[in-house]
This record gives sequence, C-alpha cells and structure tokens, in this order.
Amino acid sequence: MADIIINTLTFTVRFSVALLIASMGEMFNQKAGIFNLGCEGIMSMGAFLGMLVPFTVGGAGIVPWYVNISGLLLASICGCLLGLLFGLVVITFRAPQGIAGIGMQMFGVGLAGTLFRSYIGGQQSISGIEAVSIPVLSNIPVLGKILFTHNPVVYLAYLLVPLAWFILYKTPWGLKIRAVGTYPRAADSLGINVNLIRFQSLMVGGAMAGFAGAFLSLCQAKQFSAGMINGRGFIAVALVYFGQWHPTKILLGALLFTFAESLQRQVQIFGQSFPYEFLAMFPYLLVISVLTFNRKSNKLGPSALGKPFNREMRI
Amino acid sequence: MKKVFLVALLLVFVTCFSFAIGQKEQKKNEIKIALIVSSTIDDKGWCQAMHDGITQAINELPKGTVADYKAVENTQPADTLTAIRTYVNQGFNIIIVHGSQFRAQVEDAAKEFPDVMFAFGTTTDIIADNVFSYMPQSEETGFLSGIVAGLTTKANHVGVVGPIDGGDSARYNRGFVLGVQSVNPKAKIEVVHIGDFNDTVKSGEFAQNLIQAGCDVLTGSSQQALGSLRAVAEYRNRDIWWVGQDLAQIALEEGYKCIAASAYNYKAVVKGLVENFQNGIYGGQVLPMNFNNGGFEWGWNTEKCAQKITVAIKNAVEDKINEFRNKPNLVSNYISVDYSKL
Repeated sequence: MADIIINTLTFTVRFSVALLIASMGEMFNQKAGIFNLGCEGIMSMGAFLGMLVPFTVGGAGIVPWYVNISGLLLASICGCLLGLLFGLVVITFRAPQGIAGIGMQMFGVGLAGTLFRSYIGGQQSISGIEAVSIPVLSNIPVLGKILFTHNPVVYLAYLLVPLAWFILYKTPWGLKIRAVGTYPRAADSLGINVNLIRFQSLMVGGAMAGFAGAFLSLCQAKQFSAGMINGRGFIAVALVYFGQWHPTKILLGALLFTFAESLQRQVQIFGQSFPYEFLAMFPYLLVISVLTFNRKSNKLGPSALGKPFNREMRI
Repeated sequence: MKKVFLVALLLVFVTCFSFAIGQKEQKKNEIKIALIVSSTIDDKGWCQAMHDGITQAINELPKGTVADYKAVENTQPADTLTAIRTYVNQGFNIIIVHGSQFRAQVEDAAKEFPDVMFAFGTTTDIIADNVFSYMPQSEETGFLSGIVAGLTTKANHVGVVGPIDGGDSARYNRGFVLGVQSVNPKAKIEVVHIGDFNDTVKSGEFAQNLIQAGCDVLTGSSQQALGSLRAVAEYRNRDIWWVGQDLAQIALEEGYKCIAASAYNYKAVVKGLVENFQNGIYGGQVLPMNFNNGGFEWGWNTEKCAQKITVAIKNAVEDKINEFRNKPNLVSNYISVDYSKL
C-alpha cells in the first residue's frame, strides 16, 4: 500500500510539470487582461521544435546536454513569437480573443503536424533528458523518491512558481501587468503603455507554453506525435481559473489535477471492477466541480480580462 | 461604384474557379480508392497497417486496376461526412472508413451514396447493402502475444495498455489475457485503458505506472501503444520487455525492447473489395481477418532480442499459429474474459 501511495505521489510531481509551466504562462497572459486559448497550439509547436533539435543532431541516440537545452530554448523562442503573433491579432487588430485563440490553437496544432511530416516523416523517438536522482536527498525515506528522483527540468519548473510570484507581486513590471489587467484606463493615465505590457505578457506566456510543450516531447514522452498535446493546453487555461490567478494556487491546481489522473491510473491497475470510463473522467469532473462551486473565482479574476483596450474610447 | 466593381470581380473569380475545378471525366468502372483515418498513415499501428495493405494490394493487382488512391488523415467523426462527400464528388467509388468511431457517419453516407462502395471496420455487424464490414479477429494475435509475455515474465506480472474497451483492441487485449493464462496460469495480468487512441503521452504514463506496479512484460493495442513502448525503452538495463501489435514497432529505435510483434495484413481485404466491386457486389457482408485467411502476420525480433526468444517460446507460438492457420475461431471464448476477475 505504501508503495502505491509513493508511486502515485512521485508520478504526480513528475507529470504535473507540463500543465504547471503552461498554466503559469497563461496566468501572465490573463493577469494582463488577455486569455489565450491558443495555448494548445503553442504547446504543439513547442513539442515539435523541442524534439526536432536533438533529433536533427543525433537522431534517437544520446546527444550532448546543450543540444537538449537548445531544443527547450528554440521551443520557448517559437512560443514567444507565437505569443507576439497572437498579440498582433488581439491587441493591434482587436480581434475577439476567444475566436483568435481557437484560431491559434488550430494553427499551432496543424503547423506542428505538417512540419513534423515534412522534416521527420513518421513516428521517431529521441533519447531526451534523463531523470537524475539527487545525491543524499533522494535517499531520504519516502520523500526522497517523491521529490528528488526527477528530471532536472522538473525542479526548474517548480522554481518558476516562486519566481512568477516574485515577478508579479514584487517588481514594478509585475505591478504594471496587474494594473493593465485590472483597470487599463487608469494604468494608461499613469503613463503605462498598456499594449506594450500586454504584448510582453503574451510573449512570456507564449514562451512558457512552448517550453511546456517541449517538456512533454523532450522529457516525458521522448517522442513527438501529431496531436500529442491532446487538450492539455485547454486544461492549462482552466487551471488558471482554478488557481484564481495566483502562482501557488495554480501549482496546487496542477498537482491536484495530476494527482487525480495518477490516482485513476492506480485504481485501474489495482481495482479492475470499477468502470475505467468514469475513472478517466474523474480529473476533469474535479476541475469542473471546483470551478462551479468556487464562486469566489469570478471576483478574483482580472476585471479587464478579455476586454480589448482602445485608448480613444472611453469604456 | 466600388461595390459594383467588387461584386463584378467576385463573379469573375467564382466563374473562373468553377470551371477551373471542373471534374475530370471518369472512365466507366474505373476504381478509385479513398481512405479515411483518425491518425496518420505512418503511425506504426492501426492506420499504417491499412495504408500499407492498400498500397500492397494496388501493386499486386494488374496494372491500372486502381486508377487512384488517396488518404485523409487526422479525421474526427464530425469531419467524416464532409470528407466522404468530397471524395465521392471527385469520383472515388471505394471509400474505406477505418475506425469503429466512424460508424454513424458510414451509416449516413451509405444511404446518401448507394452507388458507392464503403468499407468500415471494425465491426461484425452488417451495416448496409453497400458497406463491407471488416473485423480483425485480434484475439488470435493477442493470444500469441500473451504466450510470449506469459513465458517471458520473471515477475509473473504482465500488463496491457489499451485505448478503450471496444473494437479490435478489446479482442486483442482479451486474447492476450487468455494467451498468458494458457502458458502461465499463475501470472498476474493488469489491463488498463487510457480512454484515447492517439494520446501517446498518457499511454507512456500508464506504462510507467504498470512497470512501477511490478509488470515486467507489457503490450498495447492501437497507435497510442507507441507511448508505452517508449516508456518501456526507458528501462534500458532492466529486464522489462514489450510485445508489439505492429511489426513496424520492431524497426523503431526502441524496438530493442520488442521481442516479437503481430501485424494486420489488409492486403487480402482490399483485394477482396476490388474483386467484389468488379463483380457488382458493393457490400452487405462481413470480411473477417485471421491467420486462417492470411489476415495476420507474426514476426520475431531476432536481430535485437534473440536472447529472449527461447526455443520454448518460439515453439509454443509457432504451434499455435499453425493451429490458427488450420482452423479459425479457436479463441472465440475471448468474450468470456472478465477483467474484474483477474
């Protein structure tokens, strides 16, 4: 029994990372007043590019560590540029954010699949980034395996949580992000360039979504397949609402969702008599239930979320 | 004036394009095959098997028998009717809709286009007079995989990662259970379903859970299984192995963990469809696939897993293949497998 619990928690920590990074990025978008439903598409492109670099250099063989890091960086840069493109559509041209987000999602998923077919051809694997057991710490009973036997990127992802909190709540730039997402007209009257801050937030959010996609292909699945993101981008968007736009609560949301997924896998393995269809639904039902019953969320959200800013109009 | 100019320009474009896309005149009885799949034609699994079967059949049929072959990939059920209509408008007359999730769309299309032959799998039901159903009796290949797993496991603990409990995957998984039990009744068998045919990430997560739970031989059905195979390959220096449901898995980089694999051979099905079309029979039948009619193949990974292919395993599997070749439906009791009692 103890093994089951330890394994469930270990997998929770490891598999929550892609959702955590993507939802942290989406939090930056939404804090600045823009929701990007295209997260899924950006993650797809990140997953493809993250895999492309090591595959091009060494195929499925082992490649130097900096090649894998280059994959992560390329995915982040691409995500950043896609965030910029999204900003161009919704900030400069003031397209409806929901529709533009769906467009971005389709664009990213489609482009990643097409490029994958052109440059790689078919299903291929890479060696990816291996898990590392941290000396001494990984020998701590129970906690050692749960917390200190992961991929280095996992630790980096968890460090993003305090970093995001610090940026948002302790830096002038974070204050500007929150201001343009809450009351852009007031921010504008104080000389803050609302659109510039929103562009910057979208680029940061896009970079993190790209990074999250690359985590999936480089560190977790160690392969790419068209459609491998499979709704995780949308879950990341939901987790921002779930976590009430706060980094630590989003972390808890990502862990809770992944814990529910890990739990349903364990229940399937050790308790076949329960219909797996219900188990597969469980994590999603959990998110919907929390969003439904936590009415406070609506009040905590950035009040200008989803509203385009037009300096010339007094709205 | 500007509006009039725009409308006129639009009319010119519409007229030009209408003539430009005009349909090429089609010869009478010319056969054109279209394939609609949910994944890609190089997915090393379900969809690739059908694509390979079609291309092999076209190559083996007399030259010019099939005038054209096209495939549309990553199709969702909601898009299927549109794809079918597009193909019918382009003169395709044998449309293979490959996946049990497309059943409702095939039923609608069969009514809408009674002069077009449809092939649909997997089901054992007769759907319409112009629909051939095909059903791989995958319990046979699953049984063989089960023999390999049952004789290979040292932990007496094996696992299956399935997509959903339906179609040929359900038959494969149940056949696997029976195969393991036939050679190793004491082995513990875990069967899990990820709820998706394409999610390789989730498949890998399930496989990791099974390995942590103690399974040392895994198998998986449908294209999602590639994620599980990759997860098995993570344990390079441990005695953890894979039995594949597609021969293409042996050729993959992580194929060094794949002891053996089965494969569907759709070539015979496609040749049968063409023959029936030429004889004016457009459907109303079920085409089973099994070892007896050449619908399945089996291969060993002698290059990379020779040490795992013992004489006992090889003999047990090949004896069973001979039995299957001589008589179909030998594993018809697969339906009785109840996962809750494992």
